[in-house]
Amino acid sequence: MKGTYLGEFEELVLLTVGALYPEAYGVAVMDEIKNETGRSVNISAIHSALRRLDEKGFVKSEMGGATNERGGRRKRYFELTSFGKKALDDAQSLRMKLYNRIPDISFGQN
Amino acid sequence: MNKRPHISPPKWADRFLELYCKEQFLEEIQGDVHELFEARINKQPPVLAKAKFIWDVLRFFKWSNLKKSKRLNSNIITMTRNNFKVAARVLWKQKTNTALNIGSIAIGMACFILISLYVRQELSFDKFHEKGDRIYRTWAKEDYGEGQQFFYTSSPLPLAGALEANIPEVEATVRVDYNRFLVGEGENRINELVSIVSPNFFDVFTFNLNKGNAAKPLGRQDVVLSEEYAQKYFGSDDAVGKELVLQIGDEQLSYQVSAVMENMPRNTGFQADMIVSNEDMERFYSPRALQAWFNIAPETFVLLKENASVESVEAKLPGMIRTVLADEVQEGEYVLGLQPLTDIHLNTDFPAAAMPVGNPNYVYVLATIGLLVLIMACMNYTTLSTGQSIKRAKEVGIRKVVGAQKKGLVWQYLSESLLITAFAALTGFGLAYLLLPTFNQLAGTQIAIPVDYSNVILFLGIVLTVGILTGLYPAFVLSNLKLLSVLKGAQSSKGAGFFRKSLMVFQLLLTIFLISGSMVMRSQLNFLQNSDLGYEREAMVYVNLYSKPDASGLIDRINSGFENAEILKSKLQTYPDIKSIGTANHMFGTSGWTGLGFSDKQGQFRQFSLLITDAYYNSSFGIELVAGRDFDPELEIDKTESIIINEAAAAYFFNTESPLGKQLPGNDFGTHRIVGVVKDFNFQSLHTEVSPLIITQNARPMVQGASDFSINSSPIPKVFFKYTGNSLLGVQSLLEETWAGTFPNEELSFSFIDERLRLMYENESRVNQIAGIATIISILIASFGLLGLTIMVVNNKIKEIGIRKVLGAPTFTILSMLLRQFSQQLILAFIISIPITWYLMNQWLSDFAYRVDVGVMVFLISGVLSFSIMFLVISYHAVRASRSNPIKALRVE
Repeated sequence: MKGTYLGEFEELVLLTVGALYPEAYGVAVMDEIKNETGRSVNISAIHSALRRLDEKGFVKSEMGGATNERGGRRKRYFELTSFGKKALDDAQSLRMKLYNRIPDISFGQN
Repeated sequence: MNKRPHISPPKWADRFLELYCKEQFLEEIQGDVHELFEARINKQPPVLAKAKFIWDVLRFFKWSNLKKSKRLNSNIITMTRNNFKVAARVLWKQKTNTALNIGSIAIGMACFILISLYVRQELSFDKFHEKGDRIYRTWAKEDYGEGQQFFYTSSPLPLAGALEANIPEVEATVRVDYNRFLVGEGENRINELVSIVSPNFFDVFTFNLNKGNAAKPLGRQDVVLSEEYAQKYFGSDDAVGKELVLQIGDEQLSYQVSAVMENMPRNTGFQADMIVSNEDMERFYSPRALQAWFNIAPETFVLLKENASVESVEAKLPGMIRTVLADEVQEGEYVLGLQPLTDIHLNTDFPAAAMPVGNPNYVYVLATIGLLVLIMACMNYTTLSTGQSIKRAKEVGIRKVVGAQKKGLVWQYLSESLLITAFAALTGFGLAYLLLPTFNQLAGTQIAIPVDYSNVILFLGIVLTVGILTGLYPAFVLSNLKLLSVLKGAQSSKGAGFFRKSLMVFQLLLTIFLISGSMVMRSQLNFLQNSDLGYEREAMVYVNLYSKPDASGLIDRINSGFENAEILKSKLQTYPDIKSIGTANHMFGTSGWTGLGFSDKQGQFRQFSLLITDAYYNSSFGIELVAGRDFDPELEIDKTESIIINEAAAAYFFNTESPLGKQLPGNDFGTHRIVGVVKDFNFQSLHTEVSPLIITQNARPMVQGASDFSINSSPIPKVFFKYTGNSLLGVQSLLEETWAGTFPNEELSFSFIDERLRLMYENESRVNQIAGIATIISILIASFGLLGLTIMVVNNKIKEIGIRKVLGAPTFTILSMLLRQFSQQLILAFIISIPITWYLMNQWLSDFAYRVDVGVMVFLISGVLSFSIMFLVISYHAVRASRSNPIKALRVE
């Protein structure tokens, strides 16, 4: 299916959105990725990835309520759709399937 | 932790974000960047936090975040976008056609760009001076009746002063002169062409001084070098303040580099690399020359005051002449005038002085050729797309049925041609850029592609014009198709067919004309270079000599040159590879031999050229004698009194009488006697007829009798010889060896006579080369067009060909059927081309005193050539078509 391919960075963002539920919005996702992987990513890249995931139907979003920080501006919260969850499951099971087939040879340790 | 005062992110970045960002994303994006800023401002210095904020805002500047203006969403924009999309699809679908179109326009465009660059360079000569519109060069005409007329654009030395003193409108005058001096010290002196100019040279003319004293660069002991020469002498352009020794007369003078100027651009008539001031006039000119009004040396330029008119200045010139030359000339005998600086390079009405004068006709001819090639390329597109109209007719029909207006259709087809031209122009520009070095090499030009505003705009202008012009006709033909007839499946209109055929005739006509034209040019050039000039020139080498430093006066300098020549000759004679050695003071391949004038016994003014040689001249060059004898090396009298004249001189001075034993019909000549007459040999250029020439070993008796004297090339003797060795490098090493042992202080310079002769016709051969390139390109373009048409015709007749084949037609019949389609046009084009070529090429040939005929052969060859090219191009596709399996053509309906 064209357009539903899940890139490496997208998968990372998607996982983070799932993990942060229900507090997943741009800056939070960026910070989480920084904390978990050490990758420092520009906020605009996160926005782009989130918007792409939205277009592909892996996540859905809505605006939150007014806040006290950031000049009272609202946040856009993202959450996984069931289709997004399924995409993550598929990716995970494909990975496991292949991982389990790695023969149990020692890699140069004897 | 102290609570810092509240710091807000840079306002302008915030506003910029609001400006570009789409409404629907603005709140979240702005929120996020502000949140990040607030987080950072507590941990990092404010400058860094602000910088990061700006960076974030910039990173969000992406296409998907941008506001899309509602205004852009109008119908016109949408339709244009749609038109281009459809155009791109159509072009992609007909790949061969598109490739042929783009290819031919690109090639045409490249050719056009290259030629127009050359033409622009020629037209832009000396147009860059800031005060250029006020700068003029003086010319003078002397007319004493009886054929004693002189017209020159160099001027006497006192003129500049007289102009400044007598004409109030003159703001400044600049004298520009050139002379060769030995530059450097000791062993490595180089004979350089040095410009001797008035100290205000750089105030009047716009040449950039990069380093050094730009305000007053030309003091008495100052020399200005070009970057190239600074590099040559000092290894870097950091030469200011360094010392350079020039030998002027017999003095060694030390000059200081006061400034380094940018290398002079190609499009200026001054070609100076080393400039000194003429402030100390006595250093360069004799006291007599400084006063003489009839001794011409430098070019004098005049800068008029702002708002002064040339006419009013020229009106005052006769009055000035009356004041300064009252005793010497009668009214009207000496006329002065002004020629605009920008006019010098392409005006052949004025004689050339030091500034080179090009032939404006060649420039216009080339401009025309460039334009014609481009037009041919455009015609390809027009003919091909008109031809395609039958194919596209259904599309037009459907569009009309669903309500397309004619205007809309025209725009749609125009966008196709614009798209093609844009691609072609880009390709063409790239091609031109790649081919530039080759072009420069072939055409002997030195042009570059300057990238500036005006060129970019010009380029876009060309793309638009070409795109619209090529697309206009097909667009109207297509949009004019009658709806009903189209849908019923009728053929295209007759008018379009006729138009297409005439275009093709025109295109073929141009190609044939270019083929025959460049053939005529080539044969004329071959004639110039290979015709029998009356002397032996194969492998003839000559070496420039120098006069001794202490020689003063022209005759002494020439004589001391002859003494040096004897030394060199005796050394060269020992080499077995060197034959026919001799000495002469002028060589073939240089114009401006010494010219003398005198009034004969009837008072008629006569002119002739003078050549000073040794006794071996005629025998070494194999010049034939028709009467009398040659110089005899053993005879003393030949060294002083004997002269030899050419046939032209014999006819000029003595009509049919035998000149042997006689003297020239002047009053004041020294003792002399004509001992021989040589056959005319062409010592000037083949543009002119052979003029009277006198050959002597002793110049004095001749010079004594002459009242007028002109020299435009160095009269210092040259030693010449025939080199019979095999390798050209051999001459060089042999000469270097001999030279170093003989004249260690001077620089060796030698040339081959063949080579010099070739250089004399440089202009012609350059035009010929460019025209040759244009011809090949036009053949290519025409072949592209023909190929496209063949493919089209074959496609239209695919069924006919199929049926014919089924009924048993051989390949040849089908091929000839296709050939017949085009041969009519070719024959017509060929016939029309004959008178045009004949007329135009005879016009060109009339510039030469000695020329070839535009013979029948030219037309025969170009006819056969064009026909065979056409045959090849057509067969390429037609053979394939006629061999294809007829079933493929017939089974689809």
